[in-house]
Amino acid sequence: MSQHPQFDEDFDLLALGALESHEKQALESHLAGCSECARKAQEARERIAILALAAPTEAAPAGARERLLRRARGDAAKPQQAFAAGLRPWLIPVTAFATMILVVIGGLLAFENRRLRQNLRESQSAFALLQSRAARDRAVVELLTAPDTLRVALASGTPRALPEGKAFYHAQKGLLFYAANLPVLPANQTYQLWLVPAKGNPISVGTFEVDTHGNGQVLLPSLPAGVPAAAFAVTIEPSGGVPQPTGPKILIGAVS
Amino acid sequence: MADGDETALGTLYDRYSSLVFSVAKRILGDPGAAEEVLQDIFYGAWRGASRFDSSRGSMAGWLLVAARNRAIDRLRRGKGRATDSIKEDMVALAVNLERKAAQDVMLSKVRKAITDLPEAQRSACEMAYFEGLTHTEIAERTGEPLGTVKTRLRAALGSLKKVFEP
Repeated sequence: MSQHPQFDEDFDLLALGALESHEKQALESHLAGCSECARKAQEARERIAILALAAPTEAAPAGARERLLRRARGDAAKPQQAFAAGLRPWLIPVTAFATMILVVIGGLLAFENRRLRQNLRESQSAFALLQSRAARDRAVVELLTAPDTLRVALASGTPRALPEGKAFYHAQKGLLFYAANLPVLPANQTYQLWLVPAKGNPISVGTFEVDTHGNGQVLLPSLPAGVPAAAFAVTIEPSGGVPQPTGPKILIGAVS
Repeated sequence: MADGDETALGTLYDRYSSLVFSVAKRILGDPGAAEEVLQDIFYGAWRGASRFDSSRGSMAGWLLVAARNRAIDRLRRGKGRATDSIKEDMVALAVNLERKAAQDVMLSKVRKAITDLPEAQRSACEMAYFEGLTHTEIAERTGEPLGTVKTRLRAALGSLKKVFEP
């Protein structure tokens, strides 16, 4: 995953452990290079940790405390010299030397093991990233080449408006949305794309930012199952998005 | 406790054992298995106390994450499911759970937030948190489309996020 996750809730899903392995690897490989997303992921871990408190309160079994302290006492009662005291005097330097050799060998093996694990992790991350990109590319091509994909042009309501958007929508294969000529928003605002069903409230399909040329995109977002789009719209909302549109409508286009 | 102080271990246990045991018991169902998780966590905390870096998070945060993680790990192994452990880093909780009164306040807040969720969202959230199920596993369990499960979980987490915002 080279881009930021489309939804902030994906960090919570990662902390929750609900992502599939390939999704988890792709997101973690992104986190390794993005400090902003790494911070959001850490905040999500803090939120999800608190969910533990939803478990019904139960006191630990009677005797558990004593069993724990007994185990700890047993550990503390093992003097370090006990082993050495039982050895013959000449065995002590030999044992010490052998131990030193073992420690060195152990250290080398641990280092090698760490290096191999690191290589494996990097390869797995790269593979997951390639898989994720290939799947996305395939889905994009399928959507664009499907004969029944609908092309929707979105435009500002005013004659002078330059902003425009294009949506490629297929009820089963998904949605590609490209925006152009949109002004860059302040840090506390974001563009939010809405699927407008024939009946009912608009449904958010993602937020997006634009580059310095005013271009932005939302590719293959999760769409609500069984809710065909009658139109798509873009509004300006507070950073992070909102459940229902509150800000000015910048673009709108009906699905024909 | 960093010096292997047994009294400190007792204090830590008195302060957090109920929280840790409750999570493990909710996940595993079996009090014996839950106590094993509890023993391992507190013993591990005591043994590793010298490595504990309070600047990276709170002991309460680590205990909660470890309790859930290890109980889920054990549950999945018991059912022959592949395990994909959740990161067990230190986490800095936004709330101080050292005192019983603070624990009680937070307990009510979290439980209210969970019970206020629509039934389908709450159920998906609990399956993910207390059973360690992924999107796909929840969809298989409930017979719902995968997209629906994802949308529900995202919506639930979005609502909970607002509750926990300072």
